[in-house]
Amino acid sequence: MMPAHFWRVVVGALAAVVAASWLSPAFAHAVCGDRIFPATLGIDDPGVSDELALPTLTWLPKNSGGAQEFDATASWTKTILPGLGLSFTDGPTWRGPGGYGWESLDTELKYNFFCVAAFEFMGSVGLDVDWGRTGTRTQYEPFNTYTPVLDVGKGFGDLPKSLNVLRPLAITAEVSSSVPGQSWSDGNQNPTTLNYGFTLQYSLPYYNSHIAEIDNDFLKRLVPITEFVFSKPISNVPPGANLTTGTIQPGLVYMADSWQLAVESIMPINGASGHGVGVVAEVHFFLDDIDPDSLGKPIFMGGK
Amino acid sequence: MRDRLASAIVVSLAFALAASAAYAHAQLEKATPAVGAAVAAPSEIRLKFSEGVEPRFSHIALTAADGAAVPLGPAKVEPGDPTTLVAPIAKTLAPGVYTVRWSAVSVDTHHTRGDFDFTVKP
Repeated sequence: MMPAHFWRVVVGALAAVVAASWLSPAFAHAVCGDRIFPATLGIDDPGVSDELALPTLTWLPKNSGGAQEFDATASWTKTILPGLGLSFTDGPTWRGPGGYGWESLDTELKYNFFCVAAFEFMGSVGLDVDWGRTGTRTQYEPFNTYTPVLDVGKGFGDLPKSLNVLRPLAITAEVSSSVPGQSWSDGNQNPTTLNYGFTLQYSLPYYNSHIAEIDNDFLKRLVPITEFVFSKPISNVPPGANLTTGTIQPGLVYMADSWQLAVESIMPINGASGHGVGVVAEVHFFLDDIDPDSLGKPIFMGGK
Repeated sequence: MRDRLASAIVVSLAFALAASAAYAHAQLEKATPAVGAAVAAPSEIRLKFSEGVEPRFSHIALTAADGAAVPLGPAKVEPGDPTTLVAPIAKTLAPGVYTVRWSAVSVDTHHTRGDFDFTVKP
């Protein structure tokens, strides 16, 4: 039995978090201060908002298993409270050899817990669950995988104006650990993995509105970006599988007012990560902009 | 799979059409004086946003290089164009670097803000 003092502290902390979520201006897109972080493809952005990624198309000439792969997924995030959202991701995949199938359902509960507007610095925590035995039998794992996630983003608009050319830069980063619900299945070890990655992005929209005008309607909406995504087994590792895998993904994001299009190439860092250069593209809709009064607002406490 | 992919693309296009008529965060598209420009002394600050803004909750402030505030008249939207916010400058600006700080609330109440410099030429 927990003492009353403990529960007072817990209730007080929750009240502080709710109060902070009201005070922060961060809860629409991944916006913090002057910075809008675009939705990214290799790792997640640090914000929580009502959004729809439809579709995300990925083509790999040879995945880590040596098969050609094509995926078409959709992801929908619904905010429950300001800054707290639940996302659902799923979609079909085709592998040759391997055939067609439906991926297992993936959900993530994510909370945007801080934004320091003056420093364009924000962060979120989440719990991602890949649900076993959902999707097509050839694609799913027979167990759930649980992945606590930390996402942060930092824009450099707070640099001195003598470094103006660097102020459109931003970095986002993600670290997570995927813990399988079963240590063994079908005679195989299921390792726990450490996943980490970061993005470097240079926002021409930021440049246009803060540094110097760009007299081209297309250029001033682009964000050149490179993502770095890595994964390493850290426990219950099968013999010979103790390798870091990953991809480097240079690309472009076109940011319209209420949607964006992102295209990136996928370059594996080693043979265990795949072979050849793949490509991923995503159309992303910001529902908080498209329908701010119903579909795009939190279920609770969504008043303006 | 092809049918499902086609369905996804159709739904995606439907959202794109809906999005084209949607409200969004008011981003600064164009300014007069232009962001980072060197100009003759302007008589007003004119900010063109990507969305309509609420003048009651949108603000423009101007400061000189020494940090002193430069008085501006009240910011108003251009008649017939709610995407353009205009604030008259109450006095002739001396040569030097000036900073415009703005905050905007779009008509769907999303907040955005930003700042930029311009230079008044001698």
